[in-house]
Amino acid sequence: MDAMLRAIAKVLRVLNSETDPGQMSLAFCFSMIAGLTPFLSLHNILVLLLILLFRVNLSTFILGLVFFSGVAYLIDPFFHWIGLTVLTISALEGLWTVLYNMTLFRLAKFNNSVMMGSLLFSIALFVPLYLISNQIIVRYREHVLAWVRKSRIMQAFKATKFYRIYATYSEVRGGA
Amino acid sequence: MKWIRWKGLIAFIVVLISVIGAGVLFVDDAIKGIIEKTGTHLVGARVELGAADLSVSPLGLLLTELQVTNPDDPMTNAVRVDRVVLSVEGSNLLFRKVVVKEMTLSGVRLNTPRKTSGAISRQRAVKPVVSKKAAGEKFKLPSLEAPNAKEILQTEKLQSLELIASLRANLQLEKQQWQTRLAELPDKTRLAEYRKRLENLKSGKQRGLEGVIGSAGEIIAIQKEVRGDLDRIRSARQELEKNAATLRKQMDEATRAPQEDVRRLMDKYSLSTEGLINVSRLIFGEKVSRWADTALSWYEKLGPVLERAKERKQGAEVVKPLRGQGVNVRFKEHEPLPDFLIRIAKVSLEVPAGSIGGWIRNITPDQDVLGVPLTYEFSGDNLEGLRSLKIDGALDHVDPSSAKDTANLQIQGFQVTDMNLSDSAELPMVLKKAMTDLKGRASLSSGTLKANLLARLQSVDIATGSQDEAGSLVKGMASALSDIKRFDVEANVSGTLKVYDLKLTSDLDSVLKDAVGKQVKAQAARLEKDLQSAISEKVSEPMADMKAKLGELSAISSELTDRLNIGNDLLKGTKKSGPSGLKLPF
Repeated sequence: MDAMLRAIAKVLRVLNSETDPGQMSLAFCFSMIAGLTPFLSLHNILVLLLILLFRVNLSTFILGLVFFSGVAYLIDPFFHWIGLTVLTISALEGLWTVLYNMTLFRLAKFNNSVMMGSLLFSIALFVPLYLISNQIIVRYREHVLAWVRKSRIMQAFKATKFYRIYATYSEVRGGA
Repeated sequence: MKWIRWKGLIAFIVVLISVIGAGVLFVDDAIKGIIEKTGTHLVGARVELGAADLSVSPLGLLLTELQVTNPDDPMTNAVRVDRVVLSVEGSNLLFRKVVVKEMTLSGVRLNTPRKTSGAISRQRAVKPVVSKKAAGEKFKLPSLEAPNAKEILQTEKLQSLELIASLRANLQLEKQQWQTRLAELPDKTRLAEYRKRLENLKSGKQRGLEGVIGSAGEIIAIQKEVRGDLDRIRSARQELEKNAATLRKQMDEATRAPQEDVRRLMDKYSLSTEGLINVSRLIFGEKVSRWADTALSWYEKLGPVLERAKERKQGAEVVKPLRGQGVNVRFKEHEPLPDFLIRIAKVSLEVPAGSIGGWIRNITPDQDVLGVPLTYEFSGDNLEGLRSLKIDGALDHVDPSSAKDTANLQIQGFQVTDMNLSDSAELPMVLKKAMTDLKGRASLSSGTLKANLLARLQSVDIATGSQDEAGSLVKGMASALSDIKRFDVEANVSGTLKVYDLKLTSDLDSVLKDAVGKQVKAQAARLEKDLQSAISEKVSEPMADMKAKLGELSAISSELTDRLNIGNDLLKGTKKSGPSGLKLPF
């Protein structure tokens, strides 16, 4: 188990060494998609690939994921309403029928009202959120990063065995 | 390439492999947990699984030691299956459809004991209610000994007595009123006075014409007075006769009332062969009712398997997922298939009598999508104590608005031994042995339940216990039952799942009716005679008093008649000789 945690910490240390404002904003936006939509969904594999492939701040992503998951719990009925409305638009029925008969989209559960509603909502907010958060980070860059690191959730996360391994490894390898 | 980190791709692959590896590692436990949780929720009692083993190539699942607790008896498994093998169509899984090509259940046993209770704390569904007409009552023979007439009269009110008492009061009142009135009417003394006055006029010498004219005028005046009195008396007598006629009519009714009492009490207390017609219902009703309840309660548990909640929203069909949130909207598929389907389940059922094999086709909660109903067939031959058994039928929910479920049952050569038919102290009955053929069919269409079961019992041996101290009627019944070698029982169920009527008929009824008919009639005749005698004894005195009172009214009438006669004689006397019998001088 320890070996597994060390391996993940090594990956994080390597990946989480960038502090560019855009990287943090992008992490926050990706966390919105992963957090608002049902977690075990096909598109979240793509999100995982993107956050690992692009130089985004993983600490921000984890924090954002926790935050947006909590928000999603509260506004699921709203997502259901959006999704059901979109899925039942007559003009789009042809499109949905084509997608419904495609394996990939069926696996993606696009025909579920909450899935469709939350995904559309988060995609629609992706770019605006990126721009807004980027602006905020540009202005308060240092404060925001510091806040994330000092936040209770992060503190709690730092108290975990996983973070200790991560921190130890970071120290040994020269810190993030 | 400031924004790209290629090492991240490696990390992604590592994470992905780790997740898949963990999945493979824990998938068996996850499947076991899902089956136990979902099964427990559906059945309403604990469902346990020994182990689940998922195989990838060919895609399939092996379940071992599946136990389904009987929710009505948590220390018993309703079903226990040693081994369940499922082969799954992998291509359909990509479309999120679980299509089981074949499911084989081997070592299926019913009603096996459990080591621990399988109860869960959950409110139970409402049990079906059998209407009062149904035969769910405990067996209790109708009273076979005629009741005692005196005991009956101690508890029953006699309408004849009440009628006589009321009439006596009326007569008493009438008598008092007429006695008063009689005193007010012109009596014999007064009539005698008229006679005296007339005789005085006759004996007196009339001087001259004036005297004669004066006497004649007086006689005419007396005649007038007499006529007036006679009119009053006549009118009173007419009224009395009218009242007396009414009272006499009431007395006639009162005289017939004891006989009416006898008839009413006979209806209530006498034995009748009609009462014995229901014996088969009393004997078999409870058992059949219990079987029907059990069958219906399990049928209701099948509900979620046969149909699930579907609705249409803005023209699109939406289906509530069994788990999770939101709704799944369905669109037209090129090759429509239900989300869950078992194409065929082969079952090998182990019962104490041997092995029963069968199959169930098209198990799915979306029959409307599949377009084919669920069908099933089970059969067994040369079982222990059973020559052959066949159950087949269909659960057709292709069109949920007009769902129709049917079941057919055919059992031949079923050996019944030591079946307790009656715990009655008067007439205990045990079916020692019988060879039974059963044929039944049931259907539930648009909420209407109809079922028919015909059991033909042959080589029957009914033991009825000792009747040394029993009455002749019980002995007659016992003897008739002992002589029965064959009989049929037919059960008809109609109504709804929640409330249904159960009607049972059997030729046992006619056998018993013939056997005890004569004794019943003799007992009824004895009771009638006793009742007549006892009621007559009770009403004789008040009846005599009532008649005496009516006689007193007749005496009043006679008195009035006498007065009228006297008055009429007076008038006749005056007519014979002039205005009043007076000898005129010219």
